[in-house]
Amino acid sequence: MSFPGKGLLKGLAVTMRTMTKRSVTAHYPDALPELPPRSRGVIALIEENCTVCMLCARECPAWCIYIDSHKDTIPATTEGGRDKSRNVLDRFAIDFSICMYCSICVEVCPFDALHWSPEFEYAELDIRELTHEKERLREWMWTVPAPAALDEGAEPAKEITTAQKAAERQGRPTP
Amino acid sequence: MKRPEQIVVGVGAGAAGFGDHERGGGPGMATQDMVLNIGPQHPATHGVLRLRLTLDGERIVACEPVVGYMHRGVEKLFEVRDYRQIIVLANRHDWLSAFSNELGVVLAVERMLGMEVPARAVWLRTLLAELNRVLNHLMFMGSYPIELGAITPMFYAFRERETIQAVMEELSGGRMHYMFNRVGGLKEDLPAGWLDRCGQAVTAVRSRLPQIEDLIFGNEIFQARTQNVGILSRELIDAYGVSGPISRASGVDFDLRRDEPYLAYDELVADGVMRLSLRAEGDCYARFGLLLDQVQVSLDIVEACLDRLRSLDRGPINVRLPKILKAPEGSTYAWTENPLGINGYYLVSRGEKTPWRMKLRSASFNNIAVLPEVLTGCVVADMVAILGSMFFVVGDIDK
Repeated sequence: MSFPGKGLLKGLAVTMRTMTKRSVTAHYPDALPELPPRSRGVIALIEENCTVCMLCARECPAWCIYIDSHKDTIPATTEGGRDKSRNVLDRFAIDFSICMYCSICVEVCPFDALHWSPEFEYAELDIRELTHEKERLREWMWTVPAPAALDEGAEPAKEITTAQKAAERQGRPTP
Repeated sequence: MKRPEQIVVGVGAGAAGFGDHERGGGPGMATQDMVLNIGPQHPATHGVLRLRLTLDGERIVACEPVVGYMHRGVEKLFEVRDYRQIIVLANRHDWLSAFSNELGVVLAVERMLGMEVPARAVWLRTLLAELNRVLNHLMFMGSYPIELGAITPMFYAFRERETIQAVMEELSGGRMHYMFNRVGGLKEDLPAGWLDRCGQAVTAVRSRLPQIEDLIFGNEIFQARTQNVGILSRELIDAYGVSGPISRASGVDFDLRRDEPYLAYDELVADGVMRLSLRAEGDCYARFGLLLDQVQVSLDIVEACLDRLRSLDRGPINVRLPKILKAPEGSTYAWTENPLGINGYYLVSRGEKTPWRMKLRSASFNNIAVLPEVLTGCVVADMVAILGSMFFVVGDIDK
């Protein structure tokens, strides 16, 4: 049956029914969102893992990673041996006002020095404060979650297969 | 004293500083024409599209869309980036269909390389492209009624968007710019239990879609403002290259997913899951209604993809790439059916790690080009209804 205003009433009925249900709105500052481990919030750095290979800075499409380093000489430990040189990281900074959160730096890092953390509360009043130096990037590291377990149909993670192969080579039992 | 022939009025910020419009009333005419600037900063243009309307009373006698306020020179930027970096930029021109935008780039490069993509990746890509379509359409199903004065549907549409965005974020880490496609597959495999959570999200959205339908589709005020308003004819669609849901709402039986299948769409068409939604009227209401039809079909496709992914053998999600990826010399054109229409990338490579040229054909540019033809002869009150029903993203127009 059709009468004028039927569509309007139908719409109002939906609103009425929804009114009796619990609200879906998340009250953000009071209730923090639950973010998945893959969520791209902020980039964290383990300084010890960085070898200053510059891959991240070169691959970054926005050129927002700043790296300064110098070479240290380690004197020879044995008589007549050669001095070794080693890269030392002086500055590692990411400018999050330029960063496009594309994850390329994390992906290319061959030594797992960069990780994603779902933390997002680092808004600043001054844009210069968005350049996080290595100390601040290190702090984010404590908030990095463990990676999510993979689906049954997925191939095991590269790290696990490499570790298993290494164990097999050494004749140790594999899990 | 000479009487002014034309009055120039601006609505919205930035309306100042324009010259005389070439169309004037002329000394012999009794009425004056008024040039009305809509935008560039105007809520109805959701972004920085500017329309110069010439009005004769309430009637629009001419319309000129002024585009380019958001031009970023993306094609030039593509030329100095490798194929992974291009994905970062490519997913941003139409920020509501990021996944589909990425897809065109990787399909083009894969075709140049002659690369075979693993089955898991193909099905997961199809699934995500359709989820992306649902997200995009839900956005317009919420924002279009707002432009016509109905605020409530937005909240319902955004509740559904949030449900789907949660699963998208869990998988890709991003909420809008997924950055999940890679040449040869996808970035990472599924997290454990994701297929079930995705299935639940789809069921939840499907169960609540009738609410959106009840809220707005039967509404007499909404119908009065959209039915028989802004009818887009087949001739105009052919002349301007209009594509996507807008063209199908005028009965144009064309969809790349069926007519030039990519990913797993040929199988989905054969199984009857992928059906083409068509409407004949071609007015604002048909265009809006088609979004709902397409959402239903997309949810069906997502469920079919979920079933298939569950039954697929264990396997990789991507192809291992060389350290430096170079597309061989040559050119190709990869086009996909994006949520808003045909999105194409013409890729020319000279064997470098960056493309020599990458032309972007975006859907919104052509879809908005037809506006002057549709708007001419309408009244100002219908302008927003027609403009909103063309479903465009300004970033996609200006590139």
